[in-house]
Amino acid sequence: MIKILTTLSALLIMTSCSDGSNSGATENPQTTTEPRPTELTTPSPGNVSTTTPGFNSDRNAYFGDLHVHTMYSFDAFIFGTTSSPNDAYTFAKGGTLKHPAGFDMKLDVPLDFYGVSDHAFYLGVLREMANPESEISKHEVAEGMSTLGDSADRGSKFSRILQFIRSERANEINDSNIVKSAWQDIIQSANRHNDPGNFTTFVAYEYTTTANDGGNLHRNVIFRDDNVPDLPFSRLDSRNPEDLWQWMDRNRAAGIESLAIPHNSNGSNGNMFMLTDWSGNPLDSAYANQRMRNEPLIEITQVKGTSDTHPALSPNDEWADFEIMPFMVATQLASQPEGSYVREAYLNGIALQEKQGFNPYKFGVIGSSDTHNATYAGDEDDYWSKVGLRDSDGVKRGSVPLEEPRDGGELYADTYYNTWSASGLAGVWAEENTREAIFDAFRRKETFGTSGPRIKARFFAGYDLPQVSDPELTSKAYSGGVAMGSDLLADGNRAPSFIAWVARDPNSAPLQRVQIIKGWVENGEPQEAVYDVACSDGGVVDPVSNRCPDNGANVNLADCRISSNLGAAELKASWQDPDYDATQNAFYYLRAMENPSCRWSTWDAIRAGVEPRSDLAATIQERVWSSPIWITPVQ
Amino acid sequence: MFWFCLIGCFLFAADSLLFVSRNEIYVSTAIRERLGLLWETQTGTAASSNELDSLVKNWIEEEVLFQEALRLGLDQEDSIVRRRLIQKLNFIAESEPIAAPETAILKDFYSSNLQAYTLPRRYSLRQLYFEAKPGADNALASIDAGENAAGFGESSMLNSSYAYRSALDVNATFGPGFADLLQDFPTNSWQGPLKSSFGYHLLFITDIHEQEATPFRAISDQVLKDYRQYKQATARQSYLDELLLDYEILVEEK
Repeated sequence: MIKILTTLSALLIMTSCSDGSNSGATENPQTTTEPRPTELTTPSPGNVSTTTPGFNSDRNAYFGDLHVHTMYSFDAFIFGTTSSPNDAYTFAKGGTLKHPAGFDMKLDVPLDFYGVSDHAFYLGVLREMANPESEISKHEVAEGMSTLGDSADRGSKFSRILQFIRSERANEINDSNIVKSAWQDIIQSANRHNDPGNFTTFVAYEYTTTANDGGNLHRNVIFRDDNVPDLPFSRLDSRNPEDLWQWMDRNRAAGIESLAIPHNSNGSNGNMFMLTDWSGNPLDSAYANQRMRNEPLIEITQVKGTSDTHPALSPNDEWADFEIMPFMVATQLASQPEGSYVREAYLNGIALQEKQGFNPYKFGVIGSSDTHNATYAGDEDDYWSKVGLRDSDGVKRGSVPLEEPRDGGELYADTYYNTWSASGLAGVWAEENTREAIFDAFRRKETFGTSGPRIKARFFAGYDLPQVSDPELTSKAYSGGVAMGSDLLADGNRAPSFIAWVARDPNSAPLQRVQIIKGWVENGEPQEAVYDVACSDGGVVDPVSNRCPDNGANVNLADCRISSNLGAAELKASWQDPDYDATQNAFYYLRAMENPSCRWSTWDAIRAGVEPRSDLAATIQERVWSSPIWITPVQ
Repeated sequence: MFWFCLIGCFLFAADSLLFVSRNEIYVSTAIRERLGLLWETQTGTAASSNELDSLVKNWIEEEVLFQEALRLGLDQEDSIVRRRLIQKLNFIAESEPIAAPETAILKDFYSSNLQAYTLPRRYSLRQLYFEAKPGADNALASIDAGENAAGFGESSMLNSSYAYRSALDVNATFGPGFADLLQDFPTNSWQGPLKSSFGYHLLFITDIHEQEATPFRAISDQVLKDYRQYKQATARQSYLDELLLDYEILVEEK
């Protein structure tokens, strides 16, 4: 029997699935017309332009993500991401987005700033290939792009594009009209969501280049405002990062200001911090100046692992083995640690400074996610990783056993996703939440990175710093010293003081310890040391081992509950280097750890009702890294 | 709209100009002209007569194969053909340019999305931080006895004042649940202490800014941007809605 369902069409209207740019974002446009009161704030003298309500001359911590891919990135599109830049910004402001696997993604606390940074090469092209109406869909490499299937199918099509980009024919599909229209949408979406005082967006993109051995040399290019070039400079223009810097220099001369932030040095196979240039020549001061002019920051942590240091490089740092992603990016080939990690680069930088008078590796740090789902993923207990349908659940990312063991009896999927992290948040100290104030903070390297939580870290050095109990600690530290990211000129033989100060994320675990990591050059050899400087729970640093006593905090692996009543809300210390030598080049940076908590893979296992995988860390200590302060020695 | 015309023309052409019947393919001058035009758009130069002959020859071959495939019913029950046709219409619907709307339409859009243009309740406050409760209690007693609050409070990374903070902002700053404590908190005097993820706080709420909608005239630029975004995102749905009016859906019951 056939029955006419008059209500069915209405039902269809309500439930029709969306695709393309309509990916289910919950809109929450912010207004820009809030009155601007000034009675509670203290604008700096001379600053006559209007400030936003949160203006603070002692600077506020703002948190964001500068590494976000949307449907315009070739790989994100293949992985199933249909979220647009507009959706990405809506998410960062607190909206809900649908993951391609069907679940909702939402932040507990919205972010303060966000920058969509899609791959410049093939920008928007894969999405257009999936449009059977388009010319580009007729290209042989586009075959099957409109019918992306399961994870394996997507994996093989991703590999096909990767091969094509490395071929001589790579330019054939980089249709500049498609790229331009995607770029315009990226700029417009950023402008639409930029809301001075409340939420800042940056026009950005990723320059995705590789060394000849496939080592990762990726950088994100962040523009100060919406005065940007017609087209982004991509690896199709040149694979040599020095050409990117030339382009940025030329833009700067024309009034277009930007900076580039390298990432995944860990997967560079020693290429990111080489001691030679692209052509193999020794570095010189022109190289150092140009690199530092264009790359004042580095992404120290992200989903594809942390690049602070490696156990092989820092054997005496008990916390060096943290979220190490040991492979070259998008392979299972080992990446050589030497030349791939931040601390070693700092050391080589000051060694060059001492020997030759220039330092190409004097950068600050941020974290960011590198999400390819348009959505920052930094919560261990609410993790969706970053490559769409390829790693959307515990089985696919190797934290939960397969239904049937693989050949050879392996219980888990054959993947490198288990080495990835719920990580990567950028922190800045800026007067207010605007493009100008935050970009200026990037420039002066007053930045820090965290492994996900919103831990705030202050770090000062100087010869006239206040007591840490001083109620005006911040303003006096600014006036009597220098902040993270700066240089401090040695003052005779006097040892400078440091203030290391960290506040917990009120929505994450409390703090366990604060450390200062020192690097210096002694008799031409780079050296490093880790000093605990503040301990939670009344602990006192042992003057011989330079370590806090164990505070005894632990994790119940049955349900991920953490120790209650252990750990600190804030830790701060005034510190002097017991081995200070005014003749040495040195750098100091802050690192602070939370009490241990469950890693995302443990959360996955518990929710699936299985044992956590024994060869993965069950718990981690979330942490924050500051940009260093460099000491310029007495001549 | 241009695309709809093209499609319409194509259908019209298929009906009248091609004059397709069994084993007969009619190449009208309109077809020849269309192929020539397409060549010119793609290459930038007009097709020579040889090129045009070759284009027509290709078209005839493709048309034969196409007609044969249709005759064999290969378009039926083929999920790839079905999906490509659906996609084709979706892309057409989504790429239609969005005209600047009348102010009345924008105002309607503003009214029906008023929630998005409404600021939540916000607080402006001063705060003093204490690691332990007795410190906070003692300070409050002294302040109540007339001492200047500026002399109290322990150093903390929290600011001494916050302006225009929503409940979400308050929780992000002080920890989960803290905003709930402010719901019925007295204003214009030092009160507390309240416990947070950091410790204890004395608070002086200087202002409560009640939830308010931003007037249309002050935000019309943003409304226009949002309207365009909305129209683009919903173009496919609107198109489908229109089509559905012409369809009666019959579902066979089990």
